[in-house]
This record gives sequence, C-alpha cells and structure tokens, in this order.
Amino acid sequence: MIAWLTAVIGLCVAGTIILLMRRDHLHAKHGLEWILVAIAFAGAGLFPEFLDSVAGRLGVAYPPALALTISIALLVIKILLMDIERSRLETRYQRLVQRVGMLETDLLEGQQKEAKPPAS
Amino acid sequence: METAATADTSPRIAILIPAFNEEAVVGQVVAAIRECVAYPVIVIDDASTDATRDIAKAAGATVIPLPDQLGAWGATQTGMRYALRHGFDMVLTMDADGQHEPRWLTALLAPILDGRTDVAIGTCTERGSTMRRIAWVLMKSTSGLRLEDVTSGFRAYNRAALVTLSQWQATLLDYQDIGVLLLLESRGLRIQDVSVTMRERQAGASRVFYSWLMVVHYMLHTLLLGFTKRPMRTSNGSDPNSGEASQ
Repeated sequence: MIAWLTAVIGLCVAGTIILLMRRDHLHAKHGLEWILVAIAFAGAGLFPEFLDSVAGRLGVAYPPALALTISIALLVIKILLMDIERSRLETRYQRLVQRVGMLETDLLEGQQKEAKPPAS
Repeated sequence: METAATADTSPRIAILIPAFNEEAVVGQVVAAIRECVAYPVIVIDDASTDATRDIAKAAGATVIPLPDQLGAWGATQTGMRYALRHGFDMVLTMDADGQHEPRWLTALLAPILDGRTDVAIGTCTERGSTMRRIAWVLMKSTSGLRLEDVTSGFRAYNRAALVTLSQWQATLLDYQDIGVLLLLESRGLRIQDVSVTMRERQAGASRVFYSWLMVVHYMLHTLLLGFTKRPMRTSNGSDPNSGEASQ
C-alpha cells in the first residue's frame, strides 16, 4: 500500500510541476530538477523490488530506510544549492541598489547644474 | 581631461558618512566636518524614514539616496564605489551619530599620505563597554587580527583599499569589521591603528550593541566569518601580516 501511495505522490508532484511551468510560475531549470525528483518517487513506488535489490546489495536490512536516507541527503544538497544561489542573488541585488543610488545622485546633481543660471 | 602640465597632483579626498534615521545629528556632524576640512562630504542615506536626507543636503553634503536598506557596510561600500567613479583617491569614513571627532581627520590621513599604510583605523579602546570588550577579544582571537579596535568605523582608505573593497566579494559582507579587515589583509594591504578620542553617541542607538539577542547573533556571525577567512600561516609558522598590523 505504501508503495502505491509513494507512486501516487510522485505522479501528483510531476503533474503539479508541469502545471506550474505551463502557467509560468516555475522556471524551466527548476522544473527539471523537481520532475526528476517526482519520477524517482513514482519509480520507487511502482518498482519497489528495485529499491529492495539496491538495499540488499548495500547491506541495508530495511529498504525504506535507504530511500529515506537518500531523500534527506538530496534535500540537504538542494537547500544548500538554494542558499548558494540566494547569496549570489543578494549580492547582485545589493550592487543594483547601490548603482541606483549612485545614478540618482548623478542625475540630481546634473539637473541642479543645468538649473543654475550661467555666470555673467 | 587633465593635461600633464596643469594637473593637480594632490590626492582627491572625500568623507563618507553612512546614515540611517540620524536627522537629530547628521546636520551638525556635516557642519562640524566642513568647519575642520575642505573635503567633500558624502552622506549615504540608508533608506531613512526621517528627514536625514534633506538635513544632510541642507548642511552641504552630497547625498546618495539608497532605495532599499543595505546596512552600514552596504551604505559605506556604495560611497566607496561612488568615490571611485568620481575619481577620488582616498576616503575617510565616519559615523553619522557624532561619535567621531572631525579634529582627528588629519591625523587619520597622515600615515596614508606618508605611504606608511593603506588603511588607518581610528582606535579608541577606552570607549568599549564590557560587552564590546569581550566582543573585541573573541573577534581578534578567532580571526588572528592584531588590531586594537576592529569595530571602529572611523577609518581612512587609500585607492588600493577602495578598489579592493568595491569588489563583489566585499558586497557579501554584512559588517565593516572582521570581514572587511581580513579581505584587505588577504590582498596584502597594510592596516594601521591610529589612536583617537571619541565622544559618546549624541543620538540614536548602536545597530548591533543594543540587545543581548542581537549581540549573540552578531557575534556568532562575525566569529564564524573570522574563523573561515582567517589567513593561513606560512610554512615556518609565522603570520605574514603580524608585523605591519600591530603598529
């Protein structure tokens, strides 16, 4: 039963990702990552014997524990990648804010110089 | 365009003041500086919600209005980028709360003009509260910096330091203390302490040292930064920067 539930969750996530991409709520490069996750979910649910086989080869007595461990590791990597991307975006945003401030100053000073009457 | 025959060879110097909601004192601070020295004063308004911008302008400063709040270091870096864009060779940074006395500006500039250092820090260890003194000891021990007052915002920078601190690596920093100093040292720039006196804050409160929770967050952030950016020792165990930083 749990295998079917996992498969259904995977297929629902895949469907949601496709819908979000169709409605332009999700960038294609992020959608690809999540589609792969959804496929892995659905695969683990539809073909549980594959997970059992891998767990047996690795010496893991309880196959779902392997699935959970791999899932947590992938989530940690994903969150780390998101923070790296966020740091990069914060830097770009801050420099953009700085640039806007500098340009506004230049613009106002230029306007003030133009507004001053020429020295006679 | 300047010609070689008529060019003024004296360095162009600007004074940078990051300010956030400092309407009570920023006008007096700008006026006091203009009485002491003739350098242009540039106030970087860190998205204040009061009249800081207008008062600074009325006092004779050039004002850079930031459309969003970047913090004291982000505002200071804006001023540095602006100074470089406008051909300045050196900048002095001061707080907008009236703690830094303009009469020390010349003393702060002197070691840079003499070529003895790239960055001068106005040091006043007497000003430290117990909380601040503990912070200094922890910061210095984790970062390996040999400077006295690592949190002082009363500083002078030459052009090489300005170029270094205008880069994106410096934009990643949240505060002007450990991270900025370690970045300068990593680029081989010399940093020197200059003893000054400072007044009590005339208005407002420190953005860091006002609550224990904020101090804990600031300290953990800064100590981790100091530890991760700490310069590597040379093979003979010596610190390549220790000699020049302890002057």
